[in-house]
Amino acid sequence: MKLSSFGYHVKQGFKNIGRNKMFSIASIATMTACIFIFGAFFSIIMNVNAIRTDLEQRVGVTVFMNEGVTDDQMTQIGDQIKAIDHVTSVTFTSADEAWSQYQEEYFESNPALAEGFSDNPLANSANFTVLVDKIENQDAVVSQIKAIDGVRQVNQSSGAATTLKSFNRLFTMLSVAIIAVLLVVSVILISNTINVGIEVRKDEIGIMKLIGATDSFVRAPFVVEGLILGLIGSVIPMVILYFGYNALMTKVLTKFGFLSSMSGVLLSVKQVFVYVGPVSLILGLGIGLTGAIITVKKHLQV
Amino acid sequence: MIDLDRVSKQYEKGQPAVDEISLHVDKGEFVFVVGESGAGKSTLIKLLMKELEPTHGIITVNGYVLNTMKHRQIPKYRRQIGVVYQDFRLLPEMTVYENVAFAQHVIEAPAREIRKRVPEALREVGLAEKYKSLPRQLSGGEQQRVAIARAVVNRPKILLADEPTGNLDPRNSLEIMKLLEKINEKGTTVLVVTHNKDLVNRLGKRVITMHRGAIAHDVEEGSYVEA
Repeated sequence: MKLSSFGYHVKQGFKNIGRNKMFSIASIATMTACIFIFGAFFSIIMNVNAIRTDLEQRVGVTVFMNEGVTDDQMTQIGDQIKAIDHVTSVTFTSADEAWSQYQEEYFESNPALAEGFSDNPLANSANFTVLVDKIENQDAVVSQIKAIDGVRQVNQSSGAATTLKSFNRLFTMLSVAIIAVLLVVSVILISNTINVGIEVRKDEIGIMKLIGATDSFVRAPFVVEGLILGLIGSVIPMVILYFGYNALMTKVLTKFGFLSSMSGVLLSVKQVFVYVGPVSLILGLGIGLTGAIITVKKHLQV
Repeated sequence: MIDLDRVSKQYEKGQPAVDEISLHVDKGEFVFVVGESGAGKSTLIKLLMKELEPTHGIITVNGYVLNTMKHRQIPKYRRQIGVVYQDFRLLPEMTVYENVAFAQHVIEAPAREIRKRVPEALREVGLAEKYKSLPRQLSGGEQQRVAIARAVVNRPKILLADEPTGNLDPRNSLEIMKLLEKINEKGTTVLVVTHNKDLVNRLGKRVITMHRGAIAHDVEEGSYVEA
């Protein structure tokens, strides 16, 4: 196809859409729904992932030492923990610090209660707080810490992050299933629209072929039509999602109470659209192109 | 220019639509193909347009052997042939200008060429002033002239006309035939399938008469003879 014909095909593509208004609107509406749902789910998944990552980074492992461990031994244990793969930080809390933190946390409103303790009741609670890069590496790190001489107990608190991970996996699977069904529906609808276009233009196509049109010339307006439908069908939901993003995310995350309690911070619309925008556009154009190619191949024996 | 060597076309069992015909048409000739309905005239046009494949025989047109031609070569071949039908086959929602320009768009002619060639073709058929009209606003004769303009705008070497006057009154029929003669005088080979006895006899061109798929007569400067 020559470049000089490009404008002609684009014009013909728009004409086709105009000729089959109802079918075109139906295709665009389905695509809009499909890509909107895709974009919304994608945004939710991104936010849940962000919350999980944030949580993972804050979920530590607490390591307690045997009674009578000297300061030098504690330093050695700390160094050994630091040397383990996937450990991102190791923070030491002495028994006195642990007791102060406890008092602050539990006796803040009634300091007199703390005065009842003459000695540090947490004398054996000097500990290391260990952070791990990813939640899935936590178990391996814990077993290595347990093997260190002088370590009495290791407390894990990965429950919340693990729940979030399971939730995200379930949500992703559900999203993929819904999006897959909508994708198929969109391709079928676009294919129908283009098929109607081919029927309407049957005489014109016949004349084109007799005059000497190449196969690609005959096909081009229908491919352009599919791409235009795909483009419109992906831009509309993206605009809606862009402007409704904050409201939508707040509403969805509030629905799942445990998510909002874990992190009140949403990713900004720009952070999400860096990914959602191009992927949706490619998806829309892909659906349009696939619908067009399938139909043209099936119904246009040129 | 056109060579058919023992060409047959059989659609189904029974009498072939075209039966072992051999003929030769020289460059620049004007030929009438006549015969009763079902004689095989339209099948002949379809074979020449490579809309149909022959069952037997070899068809050579303008150096192209149609039997062995690859699918991708067909557009290039058809660009050398203009074709006109009884029912005009104009696109109803396009203006006269757009119908003719359509043929140029299809061969991907540059815009500058289209702007030059379309008015020329319309002048040639005497419809320059009606370029904005839609086909339904024209008479049958005028519509056929638009179809001829569309057929010649790409400057084909051969013009095939399948019953071009079939839907026209005698006056318009004569005008269309004179137009085809004028196009032939400029060097285009013209092959006209027709039933119109008066016109064939009036023009005194070569006449090939078909009967039941075979060539019954082939006469230079002939007349319409019932087979």
